[in-house]
Formats: sequence, C-alpha cells, structure tokens
Amino acid sequence: MTTTIHLRNQRGDQRGDQRGRFSLGAIGDRPPASNPHLRRRLGRAFGYLGLTVVALIPLFPLYWLTISALKTPGEFSKIPPTWFPDTPTLGPLQTALHDVPFGRSLLNSLIISGGCTIAVIITSVLAGYVFSKHHFRGRDLLFWLIVLTMFLPPIVTLVPLFTLVKTMGLDDSYLGVMLPWFANAFGIFLMRQFIADVPDELIDAARMDGASEWRIVWRFVFPLLRPAVVTLGVFMFVYTWNNFLWPLSILRSDALYPVVLTLNRLMSYTMSFSYQNVVLAGALVASLPTLIIFFIAQRAFVEGIANTGIKG
Amino acid sequence: MVPKTARPTAGANPSGQLVSPGTVHEAERGTTGRADSGKFRQYRRLTSGAFLSPALVIIGIFTVIPIIMTFIISLHRWSMFTPITRMTYVGFANYARVLSDPNRLNAGANTLVYVGLSLLITLPLAVAIAMLLYFPQLRGKSLIRTLLFATYVIPTIAIVITFGNIYAPKYGPLSTIITGLGLPSPGFLSDPRQALVSLVIFNVWQMLGYYVILLVAGLTQIPSDLFEAASLDGAGPLRRTIHIVLPLLRRPLAFVALMTVINSIQVFDPIYLMTMGGPAGSTVTLSYEIQRQAFQYGLAGDASALAVLMLGLVVFIGGLLAIFMRRRAS
Repeated sequence: MTTTIHLRNQRGDQRGDQRGRFSLGAIGDRPPASNPHLRRRLGRAFGYLGLTVVALIPLFPLYWLTISALKTPGEFSKIPPTWFPDTPTLGPLQTALHDVPFGRSLLNSLIISGGCTIAVIITSVLAGYVFSKHHFRGRDLLFWLIVLTMFLPPIVTLVPLFTLVKTMGLDDSYLGVMLPWFANAFGIFLMRQFIADVPDELIDAARMDGASEWRIVWRFVFPLLRPAVVTLGVFMFVYTWNNFLWPLSILRSDALYPVVLTLNRLMSYTMSFSYQNVVLAGALVASLPTLIIFFIAQRAFVEGIANTGIKG
Repeated sequence: MVPKTARPTAGANPSGQLVSPGTVHEAERGTTGRADSGKFRQYRRLTSGAFLSPALVIIGIFTVIPIIMTFIISLHRWSMFTPITRMTYVGFANYARVLSDPNRLNAGANTLVYVGLSLLITLPLAVAIAMLLYFPQLRGKSLIRTLLFATYVIPTIAIVITFGNIYAPKYGPLSTIITGLGLPSPGFLSDPRQALVSLVIFNVWQMLGYYVILLVAGLTQIPSDLFEAASLDGAGPLRRTIHIVLPLLRRPLAFVALMTVINSIQVFDPIYLMTMGGPAGSTVTLSYEIQRQAFQYGLAGDASALAVLMLGLVVFIGGLLAIFMRRRAS
C-alpha cells in the first residue's frame, strides 16, 4: 500500500510534480488502496473545505466592517444583528467625512508615509550597497550591530526619543513625525541581501568605464532591485501609515494629524451605539489606502517578505 | 586569500584592458578581489563613509542614543514635565519600586500571559495553515495567502473598531452565534477573565498572514525528496509532520516565534484604544504601563526602568531561541 498520491499539476506550478506526493489526501484513516480515486476526491474535498475556513479568517471581519459601515443607525442597533444591510446607505460615510477632516488627514498621512518611504529606500540602498560591495575593517560587525536594532520594541525608547525630538524643536511638526523613521535596520538588511546577488562583474565593468560609485548605485544596481524596493516601500508605507504611538506622542495640532489619529478622534467623540456605524465607516476610509497599495503590489511584496524570513 | 584575476566579461569592458598583475599588492581589494590603486582605494573609502552616514546618523541619533538614554533615565528620578537637566540620580531605586509594586507586577504578568497565549495560538495555527497552503494541489491557494496577509496592512485602530463591534455583547455577530448555539453570552472585552484572551485573538488575527508567509517560504526550502522518502517508508501524515516537517522548519519556526514574541510583548494600540487596561486591570500590559507612567504621570524613571526590564525580557527570550536553533541544528 502506498501513501503516495499524484495530483494533477497546476498551471504555473513548476514544483508541483514533487509536491503532490505529500498531500492532504493521505490524512485520515487510510482507505483500501484499491480505491485511490475516492481517496483523492475526499482529500481534495477536505482541502477545499480547509481553504474555505482559512479564507473566512481574514474575510469575515472585513465583511463585517464593510456591511456595518453601510447600515442605517436604526438597523445597526438591531438585536440580533442583520447579516446583510436591508437598505445599504452611504449616510455613515458622509457623516464621518463631515464630522472630522478626513481629507486633510489622508493628505497628512500621504506626506508622512510617502516621505518616510522615499527616505528609507534611499538610505537603505546606499548602506546596503556599502555593506554588500565595499570592504573595510569591522564592516560585518557594524552590520550585525545595526541588525540587532531590528528586534528592539519601539516602546522601549519612546521616552528618550520623545525628549530628543522635542529638544530639537521638532515636536508637533511633519519632520518630527518622520525623521526617526528615515532609516532602519530592516531596510538595510533587505537591500544588502538583494545587492549581494548583483554580479560583481557588472559593478567592476561600470567602474572601469569610469562611473562614479553614486552613478553605479543608482544607474546600474538600483534598477535590478525592483522586488526589494517594492517590498521595502510597501512595508514602510504601511508601517508609517499605521503607526499610532509615535504621532500620538509627538503631535498636538489637529491640522497635522494622520488618518489614524483623526479616526481616534472620531472614535472618542461618543460611545453612543447609534454613532458606531459612523466610526466603522471611518475605519473603512482609513484602511482602504493601505489595502489598495497592498493589493497592487502584493505579488512582489509577498515574495520579498518571504525572502527576509529565509535569508534571515 | 588569493586575489582572483580580473576577468572582463564579454561586452562589459570594450577596451579589453586587463589590470596588470603588478598593481595587486595588498589586502585592500575591489569587489572581485582585484587590487585597487591608492587613489581608488581612498575614493572607495570616502564613498563607503558617505553612503553609510545617512543611515548611521539616523539610527545613531534616533535608536542607539535613545537606548543608552533609557538606561540612564532608569537610574534617575525625573518628571517628564520638567527639563531633562533636572533629573536626579537615585541608583536602582526605580527598579526596586517597580519590582515591588503589585500593579506593575500585574502588568508584567499580563504581558507574559499575552505573549505566551499568542505563541500558543499562533504557532500551531500558522504551521497548519502554511502546510495547507503548500502541500495539497488546490486552486486559489495564493489568493488565500494574499487575503491572509491583507489583515497585516490595515491600521490597528481600524481593526480595533471592527473587533469592538464583532465582540460587542448582544449586538455583535459572535455573541449572536454563541447564544444561538445555546451557550451563555460571553462578555469578551467586558469580562476580566476573557478580555486578555480576546485581545490575543485580535492580535493573532492581525499577524497570522505574515507568519504563514514566512512558514510557506520555509517549506519551499525543504528538499522534496525528504517527504518522498518518508512516504515510501510508510510514515503517516501526523508522523511526517512531527518528525520531518517540524524539525526541518526549525529555523523559520524560531524566527516566527521570535517575531511573535517581539510583536506581542509591545502590545499597546488595542489596549490604549479598546480596554484602557480594564476591566479591573486585567489588560494592563508593560507597554501600556510605560506609556501611561511617562506621558500621563510624567514618571520617566519608572517608565524607563520598565522599558529596560522589557528589553531584558526580549534579549532573554531571543537568546533562548538562538540557543534552541543552534543546538537543534548541530
């Protein structure tokens, strides 16, 4: 009796041939080998059942967020709750946009996240290039010391960081929110890994042609780093967009509030249950930009994130 | 170290010029191992410094200096509402006070429970989902992987608002389902015994996709003939998982465990936004306590002592995981 089951290859799956042999079809009591068809079908059915359950994990709360934001206050406070809005309405969304300046906050978030993202890409590519392609004494020690900071929970340094930025006179300013995130170990680590794969011959050839190091980095190396740059860019954009603790600590003016702080304001207006659908509509507004960016860049992003785990 | 000779690749070096062996004289080398002339060496050194400095300056000022300052402040009494020059040295008094204060110990205990529960739920769930998304040949796997990760990019506050509604007693869908099954309606966040677990589930929901992606990537690194050999040996799926998949996933698993610890030990947003540490102090965590001590009461010394203790905890757990990885690898 063999437990090996060969399933049909899927389109575009080059390793399918090897992988099919360890399949879910083999899970559970082993039916007689004389009936491999039934077993394959059963395994497949269980597989899809599992996938459906797994898909519900992210989908259900997102579904609930969306339909709740579309309910009228009357329907929203029904017990038990309705599973689909009877009369979907954009009313809560309009109220949310009217009650707090979401437009301004979206712009603020865009400035803050965009600025940090561009800065991190620049600092990480430059540092990653040196750590990968230049040689000097203590290079690797310095690199691993930097990598250690990747594991530092930001709350540990919140008090002195706040004090420093305030002493610099940067509290309650765009620059104060952004500057501490202009470089980080994750970006340098990611870029070093990817730049290591750039052939040395390419760089030497460029050097022999008299290209400056600056030109080599941006004209020859950078174009080869697209997946890494997308990964780092999306990661940083999402991180700074969602960062709550730091802007909460350093900003006082509503005019500078990023989306998360404005949403916090909307949330703390009232605990009244009939207003909760407005708050949910606000949550939807705050989530859409990062979700859209993620879904546009998802392929490269997921690959890049996966690589950091393997190579790390 | 033998310097390699320069090998001009086709088209890369139109002049076909080779660097004369006479210039190869010492350890200072270019990327291919060819020696540089002094001028180039100096130029390369200059650019090394120039290219590293933006990152080093930012990380130095905003990460390294604050770490050192956290240690220093933790040895002082200082109200954050006064200038930092007004702080007074008190030795380890802050640590002694923090470690004997039942409220702070409660925060530490809650944090450890939170981290432990996060690990306990995250690791088996992430491994099971990663195996489901890797082994069987099913359509739509990559779509589901992407969907799982989507929760990671949503702002925590938006998730807090959503889960606040999902957890709502009576009004919420979860409560409806559970009472529909004839069970008593859970209090979730309003019940001191359930609040912390509810927050853990919330955190697992948000982070799961990230860990699944790391583990799927780990699975792709395992040579498939190992699975085949085990299959031919007649090992069942459970035994194959325990004896083959898990040991080979050791590195990614340790990495995921480390990320789970670091991520969950600093939990702040959902507590600040959802429970304010309540009910009855059941969800006060170290991060929440650090922020509250510092920014509400100005007690920077206490907050920093707690921060150092948290850092110690991270280093300790990180060290344990590193040892675990080493030992099992050899």
